Amino acid sequence: MKMWKIGLVLAALAVLAGVPWYGSDVLIQFGINALLLAVLAQGWNIIGGYTGYASFGNSVFYGLGGYGVAIAMVQWQLPFAVGMGFGVVLAVVFAVLLGIPVLRLKGHYFAIATLALSQVMTAIVSNVGIAGQNIGLVLPPLNNDPLFYELSLGLLTIATLTIWGMTRSRFGFGLIAIRENEEGAAVMGVNTTLYKVMAFALSGIFSALAGGIHAYWVTFLDPASAFDISLNVKMIIMAVFGGPGTVLGPIVGALTLSTISEFLSSEVTSIAGLFFGLVIVVAVVLMPRGLADMLRRMRKMGWGYFIENIRAHRL
Amino acid sequence: MDLLAQILVNGVLQGGLYAVMALGLALVWGVLNIVNLAHGAFIMLGGYASWYLYTYLHIDPFLGLPLTAVVMFALGYGIQRGLLNLVIRAPMFNTLLITFGLEVVLTYLAQLVFSADFRTINPPYAGSSLALGPLVLPVARMAAFAVAIILTVGMWLFLLHTRLGRAIRATAQNLVAARLYGVEPRHLYAMTFGLGIALAGMAGTLYGTVSQINPYIGASLTAKSFAISIIGGLENPLGVLVGGLFLGIVESLTTLYIGQTYADVASFGILVLVLIVRPGGLLGRTT
Repeated sequence: MKMWKIGLVLAALAVLAGVPWYGSDVLIQFGINALLLAVLAQGWNIIGGYTGYASFGNSVFYGLGGYGVAIAMVQWQLPFAVGMGFGVVLAVVFAVLLGIPVLRLKGHYFAIATLALSQVMTAIVSNVGIAGQNIGLVLPPLNNDPLFYELSLGLLTIATLTIWGMTRSRFGFGLIAIRENEEGAAVMGVNTTLYKVMAFALSGIFSALAGGIHAYWVTFLDPASAFDISLNVKMIIMAVFGGPGTVLGPIVGALTLSTISEFLSSEVTSIAGLFFGLVIVVAVVLMPRGLADMLRRMRKMGWGYFIENIRAHRL
Repeated sequence: MDLLAQILVNGVLQGGLYAVMALGLALVWGVLNIVNLAHGAFIMLGGYASWYLYTYLHIDPFLGLPLTAVVMFALGYGIQRGLLNLVIRAPMFNTLLITFGLEVVLTYLAQLVFSADFRTINPPYAGSSLALGPLVLPVARMAAFAVAIILTVGMWLFLLHTRLGRAIRATAQNLVAARLYGVEPRHLYAMTFGLGIALAGMAGTLYGTVSQINPYIGASLTAKSFAISIIGGLENPLGVLVGGLFLGIVESLTTLYIGQTYADVASFGILVLVLIVRPGGLLGRTT
């Protein structure tokens, strides 16, 4: 990376980190939500963007992270940090147990096998006594939005640094090889099953941490909100809109779309949902490789970029 | 024993309905290689179409089926011609994603236009049922089951014996060869998708007569249709019928022995098991 790019990223980070000092309460709350969504988009980026296994069920990890924190704090009176650790353990165990059979499926079969996951988890957790069944759990309140904001920002930074480090490691190259040609990767000596499960687990860890922070912040957790299906829509479109398989794309996607959706939902609530759907449809047709690719190539090609994309994929 | 028999009958009746739901998904998937994640949303739209026809124009849902089918066919044809044909050669993930986007759009549009209230199509015979020994057979469910069987068998005959049906099967097997024999793929793809959506719409009508509809039923119906297509394979409507009956019975038994909330878990469990053991479908070809 060039020096000026690093400088730009650090400056953006400083501006974001300073929000609790100069921003309003509403802005801080919006920021927590947007940053946690960005973490989810980054988590999805690892398995969907880099490995090419589009998971439509990553919100399960988010829910498990939330329940890890909630169960540890409410049922066992343990501190928040232990709960986060417990959530991560749950997510990793789940990723390995489910990943080993399901990740054997080819890309799109995998995508659909994960589609019903959040519904299934909602049904199961509704019957688990320690998780408060379908009544839910009430966490001890901590009225400190700036803390939650900085925690979210810290988590996003760690997730992004992890991905950045990953892209320059043997592991990252292995994942990209799997995305481009799985048989080829296996022939070249990549242990594809191990790599895919590790990518799924890593993706789950960040999603679970985001879920844990969110649960403690809103101080309430029930199956429907923990395994929220619409989160899957959001994290996927944010990653795809920004640029799947890039280090910063999903963050840009998440922050842009969160901002637009916040303005829209202040008018009519359901318009925001409609907006996400339309963005998916338009993005797939006109800019399937995301904002990052569009910005890079539109400089040369102008509007021809969109026509080129349609021409490449139409019947 | 009576209870078990009744549960099995319920499962079979429900299974016929499931088969029609999955029929359109399997057709589109097999021919166009698009897994249409908006399929359930189209089922939902079909349900609303019949609800409006019945509530405002007093057209019986079963008599209104052809009308619903025509409207939904036109919608499907337009969407394939104007939108999906633009991305059909993109990687599978892109077509998956665009239909996912369509699902979201249709769901929220439905919420805006139809409101989030639960609706049921309530013809006069909705509550009545026949008694067969100890078994209870609800009239609406019986009628829905009969229509489901007719549609499935009709679809099978259509694919085997009509010119369009043969063109569709030829395209599914080999697009290039079909093209050489004069198939116009843009039109044929749109016809196939339109047909799939018409089937989804009719399934929605049947669904609306036996259970409640709201804008959010789509996603879980897509998942069920997908599970059935996997179980039954994509080649043959009769396989889909078997898959539907199988899922219907398994769900009924799960509800009886384990609990209502686990019915969805059961279908998902079967789906994952089948995908792992036989990725080509239980009845489909092994690849």
